[in-house]
Amino acid sequence: MQEGETKMIEALLYAFAGIALIGTVSAASMRDPFDKLIGIGVIAAGVLPLVVYRGYLDVAVAVALIVPVTTIIVLLVCRRDAR
Amino acid sequence: MLNVIARILAASLVSWLLFITIDVLFKLPEKGGVSGAAAIGQAIEKDGGALHGGYMMGNIVCSPDASAGTLLAACGVYIAGIPGGLAAALLVYIGNRICYDPGYAGTTGAVLATFVIFGFTRIGFGAEEFIAGMVLAILTIQGLSHLGASRLLATLWGWRA
Amino acid sequence: MIPSEIALIFVVLVGLFAALRVAFEKNTLRKLPYLNVLSFAVAAAIALLIRHPLALLAAVAFFVGSTLESNAIASTYAGGRDKDD
Repeated sequence: MQEGETKMIEALLYAFAGIALIGTVSAASMRDPFDKLIGIGVIAAGVLPLVVYRGYLDVAVAVALIVPVTTIIVLLVCRRDAR
Repeated sequence: MLNVIARILAASLVSWLLFITIDVLFKLPEKGGVSGAAAIGQAIEKDGGALHGGYMMGNIVCSPDASAGTLLAACGVYIAGIPGGLAAALLVYIGNRICYDPGYAGTTGAVLATFVIFGFTRIGFGAEEFIAGMVLAILTIQGLSHLGASRLLATLWGWRA
Repeated sequence: MIPSEIALIFVVLVGLFAALRVAFEKNTLRKLPYLNVLSFAVAAAIALLIRHPLALLAAVAFFVGSTLESNAIASTYAGGRDKDD
């Protein structure tokens, strides 16, 4: 019983890895810098469930706060160049 | 399994009605709360959507609103019952202020959803069905057809105004 | 299959769909609502995977962070005012 459920959840986790991959490809191939930042957000979204599933909840909270703050810092630093 | 899917769809409908009603009552479609929300609304209008619907969709993106409140309340109730839901409501309130949003749509949605979802758990639903249901509900508004959703929201806003 | 697994399947499917729409949408501002759906799906998944109060905190932190990020991207793209953090 337990094993079947765990296998099911592990299969679903591959989907989150896939989301992270979609974000990576998107961030790499888009030209517009804003699109790249959105792609990085998608990467974080895909990676977090993987971190949570292994029990690293404090790491998850840290990543969940660091990625958006970094994006905002990038926007502030490159504000004039980004447009 | 079919029972679970039926309950998820029912929960989706309840969540949809709940968050749309609260957001329209709190005047989310009226204008963009922050400049980003207005920009999103205008981008949707330019592609053929309705402006006020676009404003509401932009407001949903830029600040936790009743949809976010409902989802996070469902997560809270799933994890810790009513105290969990109310804790989620408190976190949503803090999130609103962090996003420069002075409104109460998110907090109200979270508190109401906590009690609605808890009530449903007493009659055979599981909170996890509301979690999935709310995700489906937001998909219909923000994730399928922006133009169609914006027109629907603009119509609802027309009734309120 | 227990209900929380079925719920997780729905949530994952929505997340995948939303991620693909983010990638394929051409207009930058219109990517943001799809990113919003993805954030809903991931926050829901975090809560469904681990039934623990800290997971609730992680889900809310991620969702608020993602909203803040989308807000900043939209505001800066629109030439809006400064964002101090």
